[in-house]
This record gives sequence, C-alpha cells and structure tokens, in this order.
Amino acid sequence: MDSTLPSGPAVHIEGLDKHYGSFHALRKINLSVDRGEKIVICGPSGSGKSTLIRCINRLEQHDGGRIAVLGTELNDDVGNIDGIGREVGMVFQHFNLFPHMTVLENCMIAPVIVRKRPRAEAETTARRFLEKVRIPEQAMKFPSQLSGGQQQRVAIARALCMQPQIMLFDEPTSTLDPEMIAEVLDVMVTLASEGMTMICVTHEMGFARRVADRVIFMDAGEIVEEAPPEAFFTSSRNERTRQFLSQVLGH
Amino acid sequence: MEIVVVAPPAPGRLEDLKRRFFATPLQTLLSLISLTIMALIVWKLLDWAVFSAVFTTTGGPEACQAAAGACWSVIAARWRIILFGLYPFEEQWRSALACVSVVVMTVLSCMPAFWTGRRIALVWGAGTGLYYVLMKGGVLGLPYVGEEAWGGLALTLFIFVTTCLIGFPLAICLALLRRSDLPWISRTTGLIIDGVRSLPLISILFTFAVVLPFALPQWLQGDKLYRVILGSALFFSAYQAEIVRGGMQGVPAGQEEAAMALGMSYWQRIGRILLPQAMRNALPATINQFVISFKETSLVVIVGFFEILASGNAAYGTGEWRFAYVEVYAFIAFIYFVFVFSLSRYGAYLERRMAVGER
Repeated sequence: MDSTLPSGPAVHIEGLDKHYGSFHALRKINLSVDRGEKIVICGPSGSGKSTLIRCINRLEQHDGGRIAVLGTELNDDVGNIDGIGREVGMVFQHFNLFPHMTVLENCMIAPVIVRKRPRAEAETTARRFLEKVRIPEQAMKFPSQLSGGQQQRVAIARALCMQPQIMLFDEPTSTLDPEMIAEVLDVMVTLASEGMTMICVTHEMGFARRVADRVIFMDAGEIVEEAPPEAFFTSSRNERTRQFLSQVLGH
Repeated sequence: MEIVVVAPPAPGRLEDLKRRFFATPLQTLLSLISLTIMALIVWKLLDWAVFSAVFTTTGGPEACQAAAGACWSVIAARWRIILFGLYPFEEQWRSALACVSVVVMTVLSCMPAFWTGRRIALVWGAGTGLYYVLMKGGVLGLPYVGEEAWGGLALTLFIFVTTCLIGFPLAICLALLRRSDLPWISRTTGLIIDGVRSLPLISILFTFAVVLPFALPQWLQGDKLYRVILGSALFFSAYQAEIVRGGMQGVPAGQEEAAMALGMSYWQRIGRILLPQAMRNALPATINQFVISFKETSLVVIVGFFEILASGNAAYGTGEWRFAYVEVYAFIAFIYFVFVFSLSRYGAYLERRMAVGER
C-alpha cells in the first residue's frame, strides 16, 4: 500500500516467548501476517491471544524471539517503537475512550499531537472516519453519553484517524449486547473489504468465516492450529480445537 | 373502562411544617422551646453586634467600654495594623495594592480562559512580580522595605499563594516519581513524602528559618521569609502528592494503554490523558488541602512573622484597646471566612464544570 515502506510481511513473529513471573504466557510463537491479510485469533481465556497482539504494538514486551512490524524489528530502541506505534492501531475490549474529551477530540488528539497535523485537517479526517463508522452526528458528545456499540465504533474511528497500516482488535465485541455486536462487526467487515491488515482476537465465528483469511487457534500460550476458515471449522484435526469449537458453536 | 390514577395532593409548605414539627403536643412543645432558644441567641448576637455596638472612634476606648455591645471602634482605629502589620504607615498603600495584585492573580488563574501554559505563566509572573516590587520597593522611587517589616493580610496572602505555586507543581512531580517503574526512584520518593508528612509543620518551619542558615553557605540562604515559604511548600507538596497519586490510581490502566497505542509520548500521556482525569478525581481533596494550607499560614508567627492573626494580636495588645479582643478576632475570622468560603465555592464550581463527561 505505502511505497515508502519496505515490502515483505506486515508482521513477522519468530520464536516469541513471554513470561509473567513464573507463568509462561507465550511459547515459541511463529506467525507471519501479509499486508492486507485478515487473521482471526481464538482460543480459551488465558491462552495468550491478547498477550500476543499486545506484543505487536509493544503494550507488552516480549522476552524471547523476534517481532518485526512492517520490516522494523521491535527492540529497546525507543525511536523505533514510537515510529511503529503510529502505524499500528488498536481497539480494546473496554473501548478506553478518553472520558474528558468529546468524541471529536478523542479522534483528533493523536493526529494533532503525535503526527503534528494541523487542527483543521485533523478535524476533517476525524469527521470523515466518524461518518465511516456511521456516527457523524455524535461528534460533539462525550463518550459517557453513548451506548457501548457507539463507543466501540468511536474507538475504531479514533484508531483509524492515525491512518495506521495494521489494525489490532482485542475482543472488541465481548462486552457488548447482541444488537450492538452487529453494528461493530459491520464496521469491521467494511474495513476488511477495503484491504486493511487486521489481526482480531474474537470469538465471533460468523465474522471469522466471512472475513478471515486464516483462523488461528491458541491454547496454553501456543498456536495449536492454523487454517483457512472453511478448513478450520469443518475439518480441524486437533482434539483441543474441536472441543473449543463445540463450546463456542454449540449454542 | 378507564382507570384514572390521581396522585395524592402534594402537601403545601405550611402543612409540611405542621407534619414535621407540630404533629403531637409533645413535638409542638419541643419545637416551641427550640424556637425560643434560637430567637434569644439571634437577638443577643444582633444586639451585641449591631444595636448596642459602638462604631465610631470619636469617643475613644472609654466610650466603647461604657457601651453594652461590641466595640467595632477598635477595628476602625486599628484596621491598618491588622491588614498591613508593621509595614511603614506612609507606605501602606503599597501593601494594599500588593494584596489586590495577589487576589487578582488568584482570581484570574481560577478562570478557565487562562488555563494555557503561556497565559498562566504570564499571570503568575506579573502577579508575584508586582507584589514583590510593591512590597520591597527600592526601585521606581519606592522606599525600600525589608521582608521583616511585611505583615498582616498582605503577608498571609503572599505566603499562601507562593506556597501553592511552588508546592503544587512539586506535588505533581513527587506523585509521578512515586509511580515510577524504577524501584529506587519510587521508594526514595515515598520515603521523602512519608518523612515530610511525619513531621509537624511547626518543626519544618523552624528548621528552615533557624537551623538551615547554619548548614547553608551565605549566598544560598536567601531571606528567612523565602526559606519559610519553601518549607511550607515542601510540607504542602508532601500531602498534595498523595492526593494527586490517589487521583491517578482512580484512572483505569486502559487509558494509558490507549494513549500508548495511539503513539503518544510519556509526557503527552501524562499531560493530556492521565493528569486531567487524575485532577478531576482529586479535586475535592485538593480544595480541602488548599483550605488547610490557607489557615496554616498562621503558624509562621512561630518564626517571627506577623501574618494576619499575629497582627490582630498586636492590634488589641497595646494599651487602651486591650478589652476589645473579641471584636478583633471576629473581624479576622470574617476575613478568613471570606477567603476560605470563596475557595470552597470555587471548588464546587469546578466540580460542576468537570462533571461534564462524567462516567
């Protein structure tokens, strides 16, 4: 997409290890995500899915192996991390909107103070993305005045305003009511159809089937299975995967 | 068939009163007794403070002593000592102007329109600068007046405002250092905060005023007044740091993560995301701390400064007005009340203002 960046995979992970004290959260993870590819990561709670994507934008620091994002390796070089952080957007389970700012300010702050864009330009961009997530009329409200689904769509718009190359979704619908899940997933489907590179931790298997290029199943800090959605849902060989699928699809 | 629900008629104010205070004979009796007592107290107070009081200085102290009520003449005769302390009589207009400049500075910095770095710096620089030049003199044809002669309300306001101006930023620094990831920084800061908090303010003031000069070289000492202000700012910041830290703990961890994920730097996260929310959480306790600090300025008398309370003592302490101490203290209490009450109302205004966007 962007000719100034080196080609190659969007994210390349090799032998990734992560411990929390004595707890081994990620074990020798290998994963490569191409530009424009959509990955869905699922697995039981505590399996390391969130930790994995939080390592990609450095909210967690890995303690073994290598991660390269857009061709740049993540290490302790601060400038390096800042540069990469701007290219990776993230949407959280609990939205994490800034409650003391309006919806519009939430979307403008990072472009203005991080990317040093003029305010007028940042506002135009913000309004364009609010339009895209279908809540342009809420721009002047505060987050607390919106429903959960609307807040999550603002959070998506806020991340998009930085015009990232990669979007990470950390269980974006798991705290929402069913009718709001649909409105958030719709926005994510649109985003996918426009060619965004997306890595989504989610249990929305319908979404995975429709959008994902690959589905990854994790358990106990390992990638257990990795397959295109059709194969994943119909012919997975692994016992743990089948058990998990029967639990999430069972009802 | 349609069912019409009629709400019971709302009781009028009179019926409400009747129901609450005059429902049974015993209640009626108790209510009447309390009313009588209250009326008596109010009447006595009014009689003392207004009807039987002496307001003019023409009769001197003797006319006052003969009267049954309050002797406000003492205020009329001695208000200059109360407000300006030992400041030279002919120059007291400077002290009055200095008070005004500090009050204006405080009011301006309370207004949201001045909450940008440049404006607030300008207001504070101009306010304290003007105060200093007016009080100290020695330039622009103003005769020199040393800090030891400053006193009264002018001194109280100056100590309070400078304590807050130095103490507040220091408190934020201490709070940030205390939540540092590096244990040796956070532990050392914790030790400093807890150390300062475990000492009485009086001992800190005494140390800074009297003991410090023995430990510091001459050129680093500065005037006793500024050492005392530093001591009181340090004390203020130790308490305020814990208030700010409490406010920070009330901000969910997700807020900083979201800011990090958007690529914000440490100072951007602190300045734009963490502190605004932390200060909102900490506001009631912060106003509380300001109020306490304002009243604690009276402790500087221990190291020889005549702030407003000590000046009040001096106002009635000399000879002929010795009997009128109640009136002097009532007047000083009124001044304290005006400042502290405005502070509390301002806090309430801020809370309403910040309630916008509350979760």
